[in-house]
Amino acid sequence: MKLRARLVRAVLEKEILDHGRDRRSLLATLILPAVGPLALVAIFQVVSDIQQSHPLVVPVQGAERAPLLMSQLEQQGVQLERVETNPIELVKSAQRDAALVVSKNFEERSSQARSAKVTLYTDAARPRAAASGHRLELMLVNYSQELGALRLLARGVSPEILKPLQVDSVEVSSQQKRSAQLLNVVPLLLMLSAFVGGMNIAIDATAGERERGSLEPLLNNPITRAEVIVGKWLTTTSSSTLVALISSFGFLIAGFLLPLEELDIKLYLGPAQAVRMFLCALPLAPFGAALQMLVASTARSFKEAQTYLNLLNFLPMMPAMFLMLHPSDAASWMALIPTVAQVTSIVDILEGESPGLLRFGLMWGSTLLYTAVLLWGLSRVLEREKTVFGR
Amino acid sequence: MIEVHDLHKSYGAIHAVRGASFVAHTGRITGILGPNGAGKTTTLRIISSLVKPDKGTARVDGIDVGAEPLTVRSRLGVLPDSRGLYPRLTTREHWRYFGRLQGVEREQLESRIVDLARLLEVVPLLDRRVEGFSQGERTKVAIGRVLVHEPSNLILDEATNGLDVMSTRALRSVIQNLAAAGTAVLFSTHIMQEVAALCQQIVVFAAGRVVAEGTAEELRAKADRDNLEDAFVSLIGSGEGLVA
Repeated sequence: MKLRARLVRAVLEKEILDHGRDRRSLLATLILPAVGPLALVAIFQVVSDIQQSHPLVVPVQGAERAPLLMSQLEQQGVQLERVETNPIELVKSAQRDAALVVSKNFEERSSQARSAKVTLYTDAARPRAAASGHRLELMLVNYSQELGALRLLARGVSPEILKPLQVDSVEVSSQQKRSAQLLNVVPLLLMLSAFVGGMNIAIDATAGERERGSLEPLLNNPITRAEVIVGKWLTTTSSSTLVALISSFGFLIAGFLLPLEELDIKLYLGPAQAVRMFLCALPLAPFGAALQMLVASTARSFKEAQTYLNLLNFLPMMPAMFLMLHPSDAASWMALIPTVAQVTSIVDILEGESPGLLRFGLMWGSTLLYTAVLLWGLSRVLEREKTVFGR
Repeated sequence: MIEVHDLHKSYGAIHAVRGASFVAHTGRITGILGPNGAGKTTTLRIISSLVKPDKGTARVDGIDVGAEPLTVRSRLGVLPDSRGLYPRLTTREHWRYFGRLQGVEREQLESRIVDLARLLEVVPLLDRRVEGFSQGERTKVAIGRVLVHEPSNLILDEATNGLDVMSTRALRSVIQNLAAAGTAVLFSTHIMQEVAALCQQIVVFAAGRVVAEGTAEELRAKADRDNLEDAFVSLIGSGEGLVA
C-alpha cells in the first residue's frame, strides 16, 4: 500500500483548518486536560485542611466546675474559651469546630467518684469539625480512663481489670504506596486525556462526514481510502497528543502546588516523572484515535457516534478501577494491553520507579500494531457502499 | 467521452441496473431521464468508480473504470446527489481542498478559483463560510468544487435541484459553454423540461434499463407522439416519478 504524502497532507491540513474553527468543541477539548490537575489540587487542599493540626479552640461553659480537666486539656494544646452561655450556636454557625459544656453537678459527682457529665458539641457535616471533635473526644476519653485507673488504684484494684484487651495496630504499607494510592486518579485522568482527546474530531471525520453526505464527493477525487483515513487519523492523533501534553504539564504544575509536605507524603511528581508519564500515555493517542474512528464510522450520525463513544470511553477506565481495588505488581505481559500498561507504569513512576526500556518498548510496539489493525478495519468499513452512500 | 456497456447491479433482491448501455460524447450534453428509482444514480456511481458493477464495463476517455479508478476520477468531475459541503469552510477553501486532491498546482489553482467564482457568479461569497448559504449558493459551491481541475468529463446528478429560475438559467449556460469547449457532460434529472432545454442527446431510463436513446426529435418520432412529455410517458410506460 502506497500513501501519497501530498494527498495525506491535503486532508490533514483541511481537517485542522476545519476543526480549528469549531470553537465549542475546541474549548471542550482543551478544558478536559486542565480539569484533572485542578481537581487533584483542590482535593488535596481539602484533605490537608482536615489532617492538618489546627490549634483547637474550644468554647467551654462551666469550665470553673472542672479545673483539673481544663488544665489537662490546656496541657495538650487546647485553647479554651470560657463562655457564660451555651456554646452550641458557635458550632452550628461554624465559628468553632467543637464546644464543651460541663454539667451543673460535675463537682458534686466528681467528689463522690461518680460519673460526671460533659457534653461535646461538634458538626459531622463539616469534615474539619468532625476531625477536631474526634481529637477532643479522644482527649476526654483518655482523661476519663486515667482518672478511673487512679480511682481503682486508690481502692487497691489493678486498672488492668478494666482492660482485658490491649490493641496495637501497626500500619505496614510504605509512605509512597499510601500516597500513590491517593494519586491513582493521575494515571486515570492522564490516560483518559490521551484516549479521548480527539473524540470530537474522530466523530466529525467519520460519522459527521457521513451525516453531511460529504464522503461521496470526497471519494470522487483521485485519492485512496487509505490516504483519506491516514489524513484524518493524523489530525485526531495530534489533537489527543496535544491534550495529553497539556494534561501531563498540568500534573507537573499540580505537583508543585500540592501541599505534599504538610501531608507528610513522599511522592515523585517532578519534570522527569511528567515526561515519563507523558511517554507512557502517548501511545494511547494514535490507538484511541483509530479505535474511536472505527467505532464512529459505523454510526450514521454525530449523535449516534457520540452515544457509542461515551460507552467506549469507559473501557480505558476499567483496568484503572480494577487496579485501584486490587493493587498488584506490574508484570511484563501487562505492557501488552493498552490502558493496563499505562496504569501500571504511571503508578510505578509516581512511586519513584522507572518502567524500564523493555516495558516502554512492549507498550509502544504492541499499541502501534493494534492501531495498524484498527486502521485497516476502518479502511474496510469505508470500502462498503453502505458507508459511503448510506445516510 | 463516457461509455457504458451492459451494466448490471443488484442490491439483494433489488435489481437496480439491468443491462444499461449508452455513450456520452465529447462536446455534447447527454441527458439521463428517468423516474425516481430507475437506476440513474447507481449507473452514475458505477461510472465514478465508487460502486462496482456485478457485470458490464464503464469507460471514461477509453480508460476502464474498474482497472484504473484513480485515473478515471482525475478525468471526471462528479456532482453527486448529496452536495456534502463543510459548514465551517469558505467557498475558496472548498475549491482549494478539492483542487489539491486533484493535484492542481498551487499557483494555477489560485487563479482557477478566481476564474470559477466569476463564472459561477459567486465572487462576493468567495471568502464566506458556507454555513449561511442558500440552497442555490451551496449548489454553486459544490459545482465549482468539481470543476476546479477542469475535467474533460462532467457528471451532474440532479444539478438544478433547489435552484431558483435565475440560477437554473445561469447554470444551464455554464454547462452549455463547457460542452462547447469540449467537455462530455452527463446530466441526470427527473425533470423533463430540463432535458428538453439542455440536452442534445437523451437517454431514457426505466426499471434499470435504457428504454430509448436519441435527440428530442427522434424520441418524439419513435413514440409517435407530437409532444415530448407524451413521448416520455409512452416510452417509460407510465408517467409516475417524472416531473414536467
